[in-house]
Amino acid sequence: MFKLADKHLVRGVDHAAFPTFDPVATVQFYRDTLGFPVVHSICAAGWGPENHPDFIHFFFDIGNDDRIAFFYYFGLPAPDTSRGKGDVYARFDSDTPEFFVRSRHIALHVESEEHLLEYRRRLDASAWPVEMQIQHETIESIYTHDPNGYFFEITRALRPVTPQEDLDANLTIDALVDILQQPGASMDALLVRKAELILERAEKWEQEQATERELIPSPEGPVRR
Amino acid sequence: MTYRLFVLDVPENVPIVDTARKEPSVQVEKLGPYFVLASEGSVEVDRRATGARHAVWYSWVGGLDGWRIEQWDSNAFRLVPR
Amino acid sequence: MSHIRIGLVVPSSNTTVETEMPAILDRHPSGTFSFHASRMRMARVSPTELARMNAQRERCILELGDARPDVILYACLVAIMASGLGEHTRVESLVAEQLATGGSEAKVRSSAGALVEGVRALGASRIALVTPYMRPLAEQVVAYLENEGFEVVDWRALEVEDNHEVGSIPGERVMEAARSLDLSRADALIISACVQMPSLDLVDVAEQEFGIPVLSAATAGAYSILRSAGLAVDIPGAGSLLRADAADVSSRRPISIEGAI
Repeated sequence: MFKLADKHLVRGVDHAAFPTFDPVATVQFYRDTLGFPVVHSICAAGWGPENHPDFIHFFFDIGNDDRIAFFYYFGLPAPDTSRGKGDVYARFDSDTPEFFVRSRHIALHVESEEHLLEYRRRLDASAWPVEMQIQHETIESIYTHDPNGYFFEITRALRPVTPQEDLDANLTIDALVDILQQPGASMDALLVRKAELILERAEKWEQEQATERELIPSPEGPVRR
Repeated sequence: MTYRLFVLDVPENVPIVDTARKEPSVQVEKLGPYFVLASEGSVEVDRRATGARHAVWYSWVGGLDGWRIEQWDSNAFRLVPR
Repeated sequence: MSHIRIGLVVPSSNTTVETEMPAILDRHPSGTFSFHASRMRMARVSPTELARMNAQRERCILELGDARPDVILYACLVAIMASGLGEHTRVESLVAEQLATGGSEAKVRSSAGALVEGVRALGASRIALVTPYMRPLAEQVVAYLENEGFEVVDWRALEVEDNHEVGSIPGERVMEAARSLDLSRADALIISACVQMPSLDLVDVAEQEFGIPVLSAATAGAYSILRSAGLAVDIPGAGSLLRADAADVSSRRPISIEGAI
């Protein structure tokens, strides 16, 4: 009845938007240092019910026609970032663990080590040099904070993603959802539940992989040839 | 009683599985895309012997059947029966 | 009884929009309307001037948004048609986006889009038009309308360059130009494809004389505004397009000698 019901129709990030209190530095970071072109801007006022300043909403291209966007509100006082942790959007007290403060971040993809190192070069030549370069399980990343304090990552894959990682991710999530039905969820409980799911599904998955027809792109998502 | 540990078969995990299988008590089989490390007692894996990077070392375990992780740090990974 | 606030974006030297739109809508049987204009300064139609207009458009919409209008009519017809085919859709989208981003619920219409809407509402596909423009600009207007799927069977360019002069072209001169058109294959006549050339008093007269529906940029604009506000399209004395919802069915269409509507 709903012909689009099972189709994966979204096409990436139209925009991920954040407030800024320093549009000049924001432009220097994204456009001038990283080379992300300004692709759109909207000048508007607040015409809804709330008391609302005039503002500019502006967009940088981050590849694949995806965009990162900022709101600059004229006259809105900037938060005090001299104490505590966080960025201009979210402030935390000094006791908040660093891992949590960094948990919300944007990570942009590059195709190779050469490209990663090029962005490293651009950042290191700027007021926002790379703070860390780390290799994770299958990816390598560089990190810095943008002028607004937003934690920012550029990352490359060390090898292509394999289909079994897709299965594994789904098993992890299914196990997580299961164990969160009871109190006392832990990594241990997750690994135990995941083992059960592996026993249930892993062999069948592999058989399906062997007989699977090739997926080809279509406007409404991949279809079997 | 045979206990089992499941490890996804991806390139980064292979050196760790290879180190574990050197233990005489450990059998290694495949179930779909997972290695199944099986043994009847406790098992220990020395991190340095695997040569694994930090990030890989702390994320290689896929599933536990009958074993509990007693130690998992920069020195070793140790499984004991529950 | 509805009150509709209409925002108008007009070329700064234009006085006809602010004259004809209230004159038309004041005849509405039940609705009341107020008009709030912001002005776009344009010295001449040139690529640089057209480019500067984007910045002006943003300012005009910002100003009008503050007045909380129900609908905004972007009445800069030449600016749109001279910018490129299909431009009214692009500009309407940008204005809508600007309003929506600021939380405004104002509807957006343009004179160019309204002309297209009006011709389609009449069910017409072959049109004739009178314009006050110099020939090259008139040709752009013809091309613009053809790109919207209409066949322009005949047209006139009165070649009046000064916008102030355009605002005082005598009705008789417009009628003469209309009479000189070959209307034998026309479904509808746009008696003024211009928002500065006055034509309101000519629309009904021309319909009686030529026996086909007649509209102007102004009457089309009023039609579009009424539709956007969900009000009955029932305005006397300004052409059959504006009598689309009139209770007296016989007043809705002129009697055509050919009988083909």
